[in-house]
Amino acid sequence: MQTWFENVSKKFVMAFVEGDRWKLYLDGLGVTLEIAFFAAVLGLVIGTVVALMKLSVKKNGKKSIWSRIAGVYIDIIRGTPSVLQLLIMWFIVMKSCKNGVLVAVLSFGINSGAYVAEIVRAGILAVDKGQTEAGRSLGLSKAQTMIYIVIPQAIKNVLPPIGNEFIVLLKETAIVGYVSLTDLTRAANQITSRTYEAFMPLIGAAVIYFTIIKILTILLDKLERRLRKSDNR
Amino acid sequence: MIIVKDLHKTFEDNHVLRGVNYHVHQGEKIVVVGPSGSGKSTFLRCLNLLETPTSGEIWFDGQLITDPKVNIDKVRQHMGMVFQNFNLFNNHTIMENITLAPVKLKLMSKEEASENALSLLDRVGLRGKADSYPSQLSGGQKQRIAIVRSLAMNPRVMLFDEPTSALDPEMVGEVLDVMKGLAESGMTMVVVTHEMGFAREVGTRVLFMDEGNIMEENTPREFFNNPQCPRLQEFLSKVL
Repeated sequence: MQTWFENVSKKFVMAFVEGDRWKLYLDGLGVTLEIAFFAAVLGLVIGTVVALMKLSVKKNGKKSIWSRIAGVYIDIIRGTPSVLQLLIMWFIVMKSCKNGVLVAVLSFGINSGAYVAEIVRAGILAVDKGQTEAGRSLGLSKAQTMIYIVIPQAIKNVLPPIGNEFIVLLKETAIVGYVSLTDLTRAANQITSRTYEAFMPLIGAAVIYFTIIKILTILLDKLERRLRKSDNR
Repeated sequence: MIIVKDLHKTFEDNHVLRGVNYHVHQGEKIVVVGPSGSGKSTFLRCLNLLETPTSGEIWFDGQLITDPKVNIDKVRQHMGMVFQNFNLFNNHTIMENITLAPVKLKLMSKEEASENALSLLDRVGLRGKADSYPSQLSGGQKQRIAIVRSLAMNPRVMLFDEPTSALDPEMVGEVLDVMKGLAESGMTMVVVTHEMGFAREVGTRVLFMDEGNIMEENTPREFFNNPQCPRLQEFLSKVL
């Protein structure tokens, strides 16, 4: 028992304390959160715009050109692996850009945008058509009806799946090691190869991811409950 | 006030309106009855272009509103509409439901709109519900609010699409009373309904629609006591 305990604490010190290694995890976590946060914001903006594009129709009720463009974008993004998208962004599209974080934010933001677009589109379609008709019958324009009536109700619908998308996005940033960025996963991996000891760094990184996502989940739950208050159903 | 000329509407293969012609004069209360699927709701929804007619003309106050160049939002500001399912804005309080359009369309200041809303709410006896949400109201209350919401725009005409069909029987009366009051105040109204009592009592003209056309139109007295076309006679024998 004594020796087991000593062994574990020795490994712990080696993985987190020696050579101030905890700083590496922290720096890695900083990169992970930075990319995830800005990519989520970008994804939300792109997703909302693309969803509205995809829903737009011509006067005769047929799909607009915007709708087709949005459809192609969603198809391409969903049809290719995100690692590949990241590599293409890094080695081809933004070859001359030395800022890896920026490249990662753009790549993940564009990727997330496609999924968010489908979530937002479903959320808007779930709002009763009568709400739109009532708005339009009062003389409100299409845009005004969207902004004041449909989108506020759609937000309630989309919050759970959007939360899910954020969580997926946060974890998916673990692939940025491919473009030589040191995020939390890569930091843990580097420490593993330096100490020849895998357990502590890898489990440690997993615990950190888990904790961050648990906090995110709690915050999203709170927000959802607050938005549902006006329902009183 | 509203002139409809040779109005056609098709949904894919379904020819719903087959050349409707009608003229609504100022102050008239037109009641439209007919079996389901006869096109009466579609006819009503074409009047404010919630449905785009396939062909034909609709004139409102001397303006050809079926012309694609017309700003339909402007036209709709003068045509109130009440729906079968109320369609109150779920994310807004009753007060916001009533004031949203006049304020956002810059027809009134927020204060004016609120004042106007309160006096309208008084008229239907629902001032106390100003800060409630639609989900807290009964069906009859929702429909009375929906009428008030349309009236807040000071419309020149009010369109009613089966306003009592989704209500529990004991709530039908309170909504019809509001509509009667509105009729007495001189509002021009077009009402699609199954309430024959209302048609008889309030209507100035009653239309019978079937198979996408107006089959008969007359004063309520003649319409109910002396129906001409066999389809109407059959219809009345079933519903009266």
